[in-house]
Amino acid sequence: MKKANASSVISTFIVTFIFWMLITGQLSAVFRGQPSVEVLIAGVIVCLLTSLFSAKFFIHEKAFWLLNPARLGSFLLYCCVIFPIELIKANVDVAIKALSPKLNIHPGIVKVPSELKSEYGQAMLANSITLTPGTITLDLAEDLEEEAAATNTAAATTVKETAAAGSGVTPAAGTDGLSKAASGRLYYYIHWLDMKTTDHAEAGEQIKGTMEKHIRRIWE
Amino acid sequence: MRIVIDVLIIISLFFAFAGTVGLLRMPDFFCRMHSSTNIATLGILGVVIAGILYALIYLGDGSMAVKLGIIGLFNILANPIASHALANGAYKHAKKPIETVEADQYGEDLVEKNE
Amino acid sequence: MIFQEFLFFAVCFIVLAVILLARLLAGPTIADRALAADCIEIVSDMALILFALYSGRGIFLDIALITAVMGFIGTTLIGRYLGGRL
Repeated sequence: MKKANASSVISTFIVTFIFWMLITGQLSAVFRGQPSVEVLIAGVIVCLLTSLFSAKFFIHEKAFWLLNPARLGSFLLYCCVIFPIELIKANVDVAIKALSPKLNIHPGIVKVPSELKSEYGQAMLANSITLTPGTITLDLAEDLEEEAAATNTAAATTVKETAAAGSGVTPAAGTDGLSKAASGRLYYYIHWLDMKTTDHAEAGEQIKGTMEKHIRRIWE
Repeated sequence: MRIVIDVLIIISLFFAFAGTVGLLRMPDFFCRMHSSTNIATLGILGVVIAGILYALIYLGDGSMAVKLGIIGLFNILANPIASHALANGAYKHAKKPIETVEADQYGEDLVEKNE
Repeated sequence: MIFQEFLFFAVCFIVLAVILLARLLAGPTIADRALAADCIEIVSDMALILFALYSGRGIFLDIALITAVMGFIGTTLIGRYLGGRL
Protein backbone atom coordinates (compact mmCIF):
# COMPACT_ATOMS: atom_id res chain seq x y z
CA MET A 1 0.00 0.00 0.00
CA LYS A 2 1.42 3.32 -1.06
CA LYS A 3 1.61 6.32 1.20
CA ALA A 4 -0.80 9.18 0.66
CA ASN A 5 0.66 12.47 -0.49
CA ALA A 6 -0.74 15.96 0.00
CA SER A 7 -2.58 16.36 -3.29
CA SER A 8 -4.56 13.13 -2.85
CA VAL A 9 -5.60 14.17 0.67
CA ILE A 10 -6.68 17.59 -0.58
CA SER A 11 -8.73 16.22 -3.47
CA THR A 12 -10.44 13.63 -1.26
CA PHE A 13 -11.20 16.38 1.26
CA ILE A 14 -12.81 18.55 -1.41
CA VAL A 15 -15.07 15.74 -2.63
CA THR A 16 -16.15 14.64 0.85
CA PHE A 17 -16.80 18.24 1.92
CA ILE A 18 -19.01 18.85 -1.12
CA PHE A 19 -21.01 15.75 -0.19
CA TRP A 20 -21.29 16.96 3.42
CA MET A 21 -22.65 20.32 2.28
CA LEU A 22 -25.12 18.64 -0.07
CA ILE A 23 -26.50 16.16 2.43
CA THR A 24 -26.76 18.52 5.39
CA GLY A 25 -28.43 21.11 3.18
CA GLN A 26 -25.82 23.81 3.77
CA LEU A 27 -25.20 24.58 0.12
CA SER A 28 -28.52 26.35 -0.38
CA ALA A 29 -28.02 28.09 2.99
CA VAL A 30 -24.70 29.48 1.78
CA PHE A 31 -26.39 30.75 -1.36
CA ARG A 32 -29.09 32.41 0.74
CA GLY A 33 -26.39 34.01 2.87
CA GLN A 34 -27.11 32.45 6.25
CA PRO A 35 -24.92 29.38 6.75
CA SER A 36 -24.70 27.86 10.20
CA VAL A 37 -21.09 28.03 11.34
CA GLU A 38 -21.22 25.06 13.71
CA VAL A 39 -22.25 22.61 10.98
CA LEU A 40 -19.51 23.90 8.70
CA ILE A 41 -16.81 23.53 11.38
CA ALA A 42 -18.00 20.00 12.23
CA GLY A 43 -17.93 19.17 8.51
CA VAL A 44 -14.35 20.42 8.16
CA ILE A 45 -13.18 18.29 11.11
CA VAL A 46 -14.98 15.12 10.01
CA CYS A 47 -13.95 15.43 6.37
CA LEU A 48 -10.30 16.11 7.27
CA LEU A 49 -10.14 13.01 9.48
CA THR A 50 -11.86 10.86 6.86
CA SER A 51 -9.62 12.01 4.03
CA LEU A 52 -6.45 11.58 6.12
CA PHE A 53 -7.27 7.95 6.80
CA SER A 54 -8.80 6.94 3.48
CA ALA A 55 -6.96 8.93 0.82
CA LYS A 56 -4.45 6.16 0.17
CA PHE A 57 -7.21 3.83 -0.99
CA PHE A 58 -8.63 6.22 -3.56
CA ILE A 59 -5.98 8.25 -5.32
CA HIS A 60 -2.92 6.49 -6.70
CA GLU A 61 -1.94 8.74 -9.55
CA LYS A 62 -1.86 12.45 -10.15
CA ALA A 63 -4.86 13.94 -8.39
CA PHE A 64 -5.58 17.13 -10.29
CA TRP A 65 -5.61 15.72 -13.82
CA LEU A 66 -9.04 17.22 -14.55
CA LEU A 67 -7.75 20.78 -14.29
CA ASN A 68 -6.27 20.50 -17.79
CA PRO A 69 -8.95 22.02 -20.07
CA ALA A 70 -8.31 19.63 -22.97
CA ARG A 71 -8.75 16.62 -20.70
CA LEU A 72 -11.85 18.15 -19.14
CA GLY A 73 -13.31 18.75 -22.59
CA SER A 74 -12.73 15.21 -23.77
CA PHE A 75 -14.05 13.87 -20.44
CA LEU A 76 -17.28 15.82 -20.82
CA LEU A 77 -17.54 14.79 -24.48
CA TYR A 78 -17.18 11.13 -23.47
CA CYS A 79 -19.66 11.33 -20.60
CA CYS A 80 -22.31 13.36 -22.41
CA VAL A 81 -22.16 12.28 -26.06
CA ILE A 82 -20.12 9.16 -26.83
CA PHE A 83 -21.10 6.87 -23.98
CA PRO A 84 -24.89 7.55 -23.88
CA ILE A 85 -25.14 6.77 -27.60
CA GLU A 86 -23.45 3.39 -27.08
CA LEU A 87 -25.64 2.80 -24.01
CA ILE A 88 -28.91 3.47 -25.81
CA LYS A 89 -27.94 1.35 -28.83
CA ALA A 90 -26.98 -1.61 -26.65
CA ASN A 91 -30.09 -1.22 -24.47
CA VAL A 92 -32.45 -1.29 -27.43
CA ASP A 93 -30.60 -4.27 -28.86
CA VAL A 94 -30.84 -6.35 -25.69
CA ALA A 95 -34.48 -5.34 -25.08
CA ILE A 96 -35.43 -6.47 -28.59
CA LYS A 97 -33.56 -9.74 -28.06
CA ALA A 98 -35.35 -10.37 -24.77
CA LEU A 99 -38.82 -9.55 -26.11
CA SER A 100 -38.59 -11.39 -29.43
CA PRO A 101 -40.53 -14.66 -29.37
CA LYS A 102 -37.60 -16.75 -30.58
CA LEU A 103 -34.63 -16.24 -28.32
CA ASN A 104 -31.70 -15.89 -30.73
CA ILE A 105 -28.70 -15.48 -28.46
CA HIS A 106 -25.21 -16.90 -28.88
CA PRO A 107 -23.44 -16.46 -25.54
CA GLY A 108 -19.70 -16.88 -25.24
CA ILE A 109 -16.67 -15.78 -23.26
CA VAL A 110 -13.96 -14.06 -25.31
CA LYS A 111 -10.55 -12.66 -24.44
CA VAL A 112 -9.94 -9.08 -25.52
CA PRO A 113 -6.61 -7.23 -25.46
CA SER A 114 -6.37 -3.64 -24.26
CA GLU A 115 -3.84 -0.92 -24.96
CA LEU A 116 -4.53 1.35 -21.98
CA LYS A 117 -1.67 2.16 -19.63
CA SER A 118 -3.28 4.14 -16.82
CA GLU A 119 -5.05 2.34 -13.97
CA TYR A 120 -7.96 4.75 -14.06
CA GLY A 121 -8.30 4.23 -17.80
CA GLN A 122 -8.42 0.47 -17.36
CA ALA A 123 -11.06 0.75 -14.65
CA MET A 124 -13.09 3.21 -16.71
CA LEU A 125 -13.03 0.96 -19.79
CA ALA A 126 -14.00 -2.09 -17.71
CA ASN A 127 -16.89 -0.21 -16.12
CA SER A 128 -18.05 1.11 -19.48
CA ILE A 129 -18.03 -2.40 -20.92
CA THR A 130 -19.98 -3.77 -17.96
CA LEU A 131 -22.48 -0.93 -18.01
CA THR A 132 -23.47 -1.50 -21.63
CA PRO A 133 -25.95 -4.40 -21.71
CA GLY A 134 -24.75 -7.37 -23.71
CA THR A 135 -21.18 -7.43 -22.41
CA ILE A 136 -19.91 -8.14 -18.89
CA THR A 137 -16.29 -8.05 -17.78
CA LEU A 138 -15.55 -11.26 -15.90
CA ASP A 139 -11.88 -10.80 -15.07
CA LEU A 140 -8.82 -8.78 -15.91
CA ALA A 141 -5.42 -10.41 -16.33
CA GLU A 142 -1.87 -9.47 -17.20
CA ASP A 143 -0.08 -11.44 -19.89
CA LEU A 144 1.19 -14.33 -17.80
CA GLU A 145 1.75 -17.14 -20.29
CA GLU A 146 3.67 -16.70 -23.52
CA GLU A 147 1.94 -19.62 -25.24
CA ALA A 148 -1.43 -17.94 -25.32
CA ALA A 149 0.17 -14.93 -26.97
CA ALA A 150 2.09 -17.12 -29.39
CA THR A 151 -1.05 -18.71 -30.74
CA ASN A 152 -2.25 -15.31 -31.79
CA THR A 153 1.04 -13.79 -32.89
CA ALA A 154 -0.03 -12.39 -36.23
CA ALA A 155 -2.91 -10.36 -34.92
CA ALA A 156 -1.08 -9.37 -31.75
CA THR A 157 2.00 -8.01 -33.52
CA THR A 158 -0.03 -5.98 -35.96
CA VAL A 159 -2.06 -4.52 -33.13
CA LYS A 160 1.10 -3.72 -31.20
CA GLU A 161 2.71 -1.98 -34.18
CA THR A 162 -0.33 0.14 -34.89
CA ALA A 163 -0.56 1.06 -31.23
CA ALA A 164 3.09 2.09 -31.15
CA ALA A 165 2.62 4.21 -34.26
CA GLY A 166 -0.63 5.69 -33.03
CA SER A 167 0.44 6.76 -29.57
CA GLY A 168 3.68 8.48 -30.38
CA VAL A 169 3.81 10.29 -27.07
CA THR A 170 3.77 7.57 -24.44
CA PRO A 171 3.66 8.90 -20.87
CA ALA A 172 7.35 9.11 -20.00
CA ALA A 173 6.83 10.87 -16.69
CA GLY A 174 4.50 8.28 -15.19
CA THR A 175 4.65 7.24 -11.56
CA ASP A 176 6.11 3.90 -10.51
CA GLY A 177 2.66 2.32 -10.32
CA LEU A 178 2.15 3.24 -13.95
CA SER A 179 5.33 1.62 -15.20
CA LYS A 180 4.57 -1.54 -13.24
CA ALA A 181 1.17 -1.79 -14.88
CA ALA A 182 2.65 -1.18 -18.31
CA SER A 183 5.08 -4.11 -18.14
CA GLY A 184 2.62 -6.74 -19.39
CA ARG A 185 -0.17 -6.71 -21.92
CA LEU A 186 -3.61 -6.49 -20.40
CA TYR A 187 -6.53 -8.77 -21.21
CA TYR A 188 -10.20 -8.55 -20.39
CA TYR A 189 -12.32 -11.69 -20.22
CA ILE A 190 -15.75 -10.65 -21.46
CA HIS A 191 -19.03 -12.54 -21.46
CA TRP A 192 -20.73 -11.57 -24.70
CA LEU A 193 -24.44 -12.15 -25.27
CA ASP A 194 -24.26 -12.25 -29.06
CA MET A 195 -20.87 -13.69 -29.93
CA LYS A 196 -19.93 -13.11 -33.56
CA THR A 197 -16.28 -14.10 -33.58
CA THR A 198 -13.71 -15.75 -31.31
CA ASP A 199 -10.67 -13.92 -32.68
CA HIS A 200 -9.17 -11.67 -30.00
CA ALA A 201 -8.45 -8.51 -31.98
CA GLU A 202 -11.66 -8.63 -34.02
CA ALA A 203 -13.80 -9.19 -30.93
CA GLY A 204 -12.08 -6.20 -29.34
CA GLU A 205 -12.92 -4.08 -32.37
CA GLN A 206 -16.59 -5.02 -32.11
CA ILE A 207 -16.97 -4.73 -28.34
CA LYS A 208 -14.95 -1.65 -27.52
CA GLY A 209 -15.82 0.29 -30.64
CA THR A 210 -14.80 3.91 -30.32
CA MET A 211 -14.77 3.95 -26.52
CA GLU A 212 -11.13 2.97 -26.05
CA LYS A 213 -9.87 5.73 -28.34
CA HIS A 214 -11.67 8.43 -26.37
CA ILE A 215 -10.63 7.01 -22.98
CA ARG A 216 -7.00 7.01 -24.12
CA ARG A 217 -7.38 10.65 -25.14
CA ILE A 218 -8.58 11.46 -21.60
CA TRP A 219 -5.94 9.66 -19.58
CA GLU A 220 -2.74 10.12 -21.60
CA MET B 1 -43.70 19.65 -20.57
CA ARG B 2 -46.03 17.17 -18.92
CA ILE B 3 -45.92 15.05 -22.08
CA VAL B 4 -42.11 14.94 -22.00
CA ILE B 5 -42.08 13.74 -18.38
CA ASP B 6 -44.69 11.09 -19.10
CA VAL B 7 -42.81 9.85 -22.17
CA LEU B 8 -39.57 9.55 -20.18
CA ILE B 9 -41.32 7.48 -17.51
CA ILE B 10 -42.98 5.29 -20.14
CA ILE B 11 -39.58 4.63 -21.78
CA SER B 12 -38.19 3.65 -18.40
CA LEU B 13 -41.19 1.40 -17.75
CA PHE B 14 -40.68 -0.28 -21.13
CA PHE B 15 -37.03 -1.05 -20.39
CA ALA B 16 -37.88 -2.31 -16.91
CA PHE B 17 -40.51 -4.57 -18.46
CA ALA B 18 -38.04 -5.87 -21.05
CA GLY B 19 -35.49 -6.54 -18.31
CA THR B 20 -38.07 -8.41 -16.24
CA VAL B 21 -39.13 -10.58 -19.16
CA GLY B 22 -35.50 -11.26 -20.02
CA LEU B 23 -34.71 -12.15 -16.42
CA LEU B 24 -37.50 -14.71 -16.46
CA ARG B 25 -36.79 -16.14 -19.92
CA MET B 26 -33.02 -16.34 -20.32
CA PRO B 27 -31.54 -19.84 -20.02
CA ASP B 28 -28.39 -19.05 -18.06
CA PHE B 29 -27.18 -16.95 -15.14
CA PHE B 30 -24.84 -14.79 -17.21
CA CYS B 31 -27.51 -14.10 -19.84
CA ARG B 32 -29.88 -13.05 -17.06
CA MET B 33 -27.23 -10.63 -15.87
CA HIS B 34 -27.40 -8.72 -19.19
CA SER B 35 -31.11 -8.16 -18.64
CA SER B 36 -30.48 -6.93 -15.11
CA THR B 37 -28.06 -4.34 -16.52
CA ASN B 38 -30.89 -3.30 -18.82
CA ILE B 39 -33.05 -2.46 -15.80
CA ALA B 40 -30.28 -0.70 -13.91
CA THR B 41 -29.18 1.71 -16.64
CA LEU B 42 -31.95 3.13 -18.79
CA GLY B 43 -34.67 2.05 -16.37
CA ILE B 44 -33.52 4.21 -13.53
CA LEU B 45 -32.06 6.99 -15.70
CA GLY B 46 -35.44 7.71 -17.29
CA VAL B 47 -37.15 8.05 -13.91
CA VAL B 48 -34.34 10.20 -12.52
CA ILE B 49 -34.29 12.62 -15.47
CA ALA B 50 -38.09 12.92 -15.39
CA GLY B 51 -37.95 13.55 -11.65
CA ILE B 52 -35.33 16.27 -12.01
CA LEU B 53 -37.45 18.02 -14.65
CA TYR B 54 -40.58 17.76 -12.49
CA ALA B 55 -38.84 18.95 -9.32
CA LEU B 56 -37.26 21.94 -11.05
CA ILE B 57 -40.27 23.08 -13.07
CA TYR B 58 -43.39 22.23 -11.08
CA LEU B 59 -42.18 21.95 -7.48
CA GLY B 60 -39.38 24.52 -7.62
CA ASP B 61 -37.43 22.46 -5.10
CA GLY B 62 -33.69 22.44 -5.72
CA SER B 63 -32.72 20.01 -2.98
CA MET B 64 -34.97 17.28 -4.39
CA ALA B 65 -33.31 17.67 -7.79
CA VAL B 66 -29.85 17.41 -6.22
CA LYS B 67 -30.84 14.29 -4.28
CA LEU B 68 -32.25 12.70 -7.44
CA GLY B 69 -29.00 13.50 -9.24
CA ILE B 70 -27.01 11.84 -6.46
CA ILE B 71 -29.22 8.72 -6.67
CA GLY B 72 -28.74 8.45 -10.44
CA LEU B 73 -24.99 9.07 -10.28
CA PHE B 74 -24.56 6.52 -7.50
CA ASN B 75 -26.49 3.89 -9.42
CA ILE B 76 -24.43 4.48 -12.56
CA LEU B 77 -21.15 4.35 -10.64
CA ALA B 78 -21.96 1.42 -8.37
CA ASN B 79 -23.86 -0.97 -10.63
CA PRO B 80 -20.88 -2.19 -12.76
CA ILE B 81 -18.83 -2.92 -9.63
CA ALA B 82 -21.54 -5.04 -8.05
CA SER B 83 -22.29 -6.72 -11.36
CA HIS B 84 -18.64 -7.56 -12.00
CA ALA B 85 -18.18 -8.94 -8.47
CA LEU B 86 -21.30 -11.09 -8.73
CA ALA B 87 -20.37 -12.44 -12.19
CA ASN B 88 -16.83 -13.29 -11.12
CA GLY B 89 -18.03 -14.97 -7.94
CA ALA B 90 -20.67 -16.98 -9.77
CA TYR B 91 -18.11 -18.17 -12.33
CA LYS B 92 -15.67 -19.26 -9.62
CA HIS B 93 -18.46 -20.86 -7.57
CA ALA B 94 -19.83 -23.04 -10.39
CA LYS B 95 -17.55 -26.05 -10.33
CA LYS B 96 -18.71 -27.63 -13.59
CA PRO B 97 -18.31 -25.81 -16.93
CA ILE B 98 -21.28 -23.88 -18.28
CA GLU B 99 -23.20 -25.74 -20.98
CA THR B 100 -24.92 -22.91 -22.80
CA VAL B 101 -21.73 -21.01 -23.63
CA GLU B 102 -20.46 -21.54 -27.18
CA ALA B 103 -16.82 -20.67 -26.45
CA ASP B 104 -15.11 -20.33 -23.09
CA GLN B 105 -11.63 -18.84 -23.34
CA TYR B 106 -11.57 -17.86 -19.66
CA GLY B 107 -11.98 -21.45 -18.51
CA GLU B 108 -9.24 -22.63 -20.89
CA ASP B 109 -6.79 -20.07 -19.51
CA LEU B 110 -7.69 -20.93 -15.91
CA VAL B 111 -7.04 -24.62 -16.59
CA GLU B 112 -3.72 -23.75 -18.27
CA LYS B 113 -2.62 -21.64 -15.32
CA ASN B 114 -3.43 -24.33 -12.78
CA GLU B 115 -1.44 -27.05 -14.55
CA MET C 1 -50.53 20.93 -9.83
CA ILE C 2 -50.40 17.26 -8.98
CA PHE C 3 -49.60 14.57 -11.50
CA GLN C 4 -52.07 11.77 -10.81
CA GLU C 5 -50.36 9.39 -13.24
CA PHE C 6 -47.28 9.08 -11.02
CA LEU C 7 -49.28 6.78 -8.74
CA PHE C 8 -50.29 4.65 -11.73
CA PHE C 9 -46.68 4.28 -12.88
CA ALA C 10 -45.55 3.48 -9.34
CA VAL C 11 -48.12 0.70 -9.16
CA CYS C 12 -46.81 -0.63 -12.51
CA PHE C 13 -43.27 -0.79 -11.12
CA ILE C 14 -44.53 -2.58 -7.99
CA VAL C 15 -46.26 -5.15 -10.22
CA LEU C 16 -42.95 -5.72 -12.04
CA ALA C 17 -41.21 -6.23 -8.69
CA VAL C 18 -43.84 -8.80 -7.68
CA ILE C 19 -43.28 -10.61 -10.98
CA LEU C 20 -39.55 -10.66 -10.26
CA LEU C 21 -40.26 -12.54 -7.02
CA ALA C 22 -40.79 -15.64 -9.19
CA ARG C 23 -37.12 -15.61 -10.17
CA LEU C 24 -36.16 -15.07 -6.54
CA LEU C 25 -38.14 -18.13 -5.49
CA ALA C 26 -37.23 -20.39 -8.42
CA GLY C 27 -33.59 -19.44 -9.01
CA PRO C 28 -31.49 -22.59 -9.36
CA THR C 29 -28.32 -21.12 -7.83
CA ILE C 30 -27.44 -18.62 -5.13
CA ALA C 31 -26.21 -16.09 -7.67
CA ASP C 32 -29.61 -16.09 -9.39
CA ARG C 33 -31.32 -15.21 -6.14
CA ALA C 34 -28.84 -12.44 -5.39
CA LEU C 35 -29.34 -11.00 -8.87
CA ALA C 36 -33.12 -11.12 -8.54
CA ALA C 37 -32.94 -9.42 -5.14
CA ASP C 38 -30.79 -6.66 -6.64
CA CYS C 39 -33.28 -6.13 -9.46
CA ILE C 40 -36.22 -6.01 -7.03
CA GLU C 41 -34.34 -3.39 -5.03
CA ILE C 42 -33.77 -1.20 -8.09
CA VAL C 43 -37.37 -1.49 -9.33
CA SER C 44 -38.85 -0.69 -5.92
CA ASP C 45 -36.38 2.19 -5.73
CA MET C 46 -37.91 3.62 -8.91
CA ALA C 47 -41.41 3.26 -7.44
CA LEU C 48 -40.23 5.06 -4.30
CA ILE C 49 -38.86 7.95 -6.37
CA LEU C 50 -42.19 8.26 -8.19
CA PHE C 51 -44.11 8.28 -4.91
CA ALA C 52 -41.79 10.96 -3.53
CA LEU C 53 -42.48 13.09 -6.60
CA TYR C 54 -46.23 12.53 -6.23
CA SER C 55 -46.35 13.49 -2.59
CA GLY C 56 -43.81 16.29 -2.99
CA ARG C 57 -41.77 15.37 0.07
CA GLY C 58 -38.02 15.04 -0.16
CA ILE C 59 -37.74 12.64 2.76
CA PHE C 60 -38.61 9.61 0.61
CA LEU C 61 -35.60 10.31 -1.59
CA ASP C 62 -33.31 9.77 1.40
CA ILE C 63 -34.90 6.34 1.85
CA ALA C 64 -34.32 5.60 -1.84
CA LEU C 65 -30.65 6.60 -1.57
CA ILE C 66 -30.10 4.42 1.51
CA THR C 67 -31.83 1.50 -0.22
CA ALA C 68 -29.55 1.85 -3.23
CA VAL C 69 -26.42 1.90 -1.03
CA MET C 70 -27.59 -1.16 0.91
CA GLY C 71 -28.37 -3.10 -2.26
CA PHE C 72 -24.94 -2.35 -3.72
CA ILE C 73 -23.15 -3.43 -0.54
CA GLY C 74 -25.17 -6.64 -0.23
CA THR C 75 -24.68 -7.69 -3.85
CA THR C 76 -20.95 -7.00 -3.74
CA LEU C 77 -20.57 -8.94 -0.48
CA ILE C 78 -22.40 -11.99 -1.84
CA GLY C 79 -20.30 -11.89 -5.01
CA ARG C 80 -17.01 -11.65 -3.14
CA TYR C 81 -18.08 -14.47 -0.81
CA LEU C 82 -18.98 -16.75 -3.71
CA GLY C 83 -15.62 -16.02 -5.34
CA GLY C 84 -13.81 -17.08 -2.19
CA ARG C 85 -12.05 -13.77 -1.62
CA LEU C 86 -13.65 -12.82 1.69
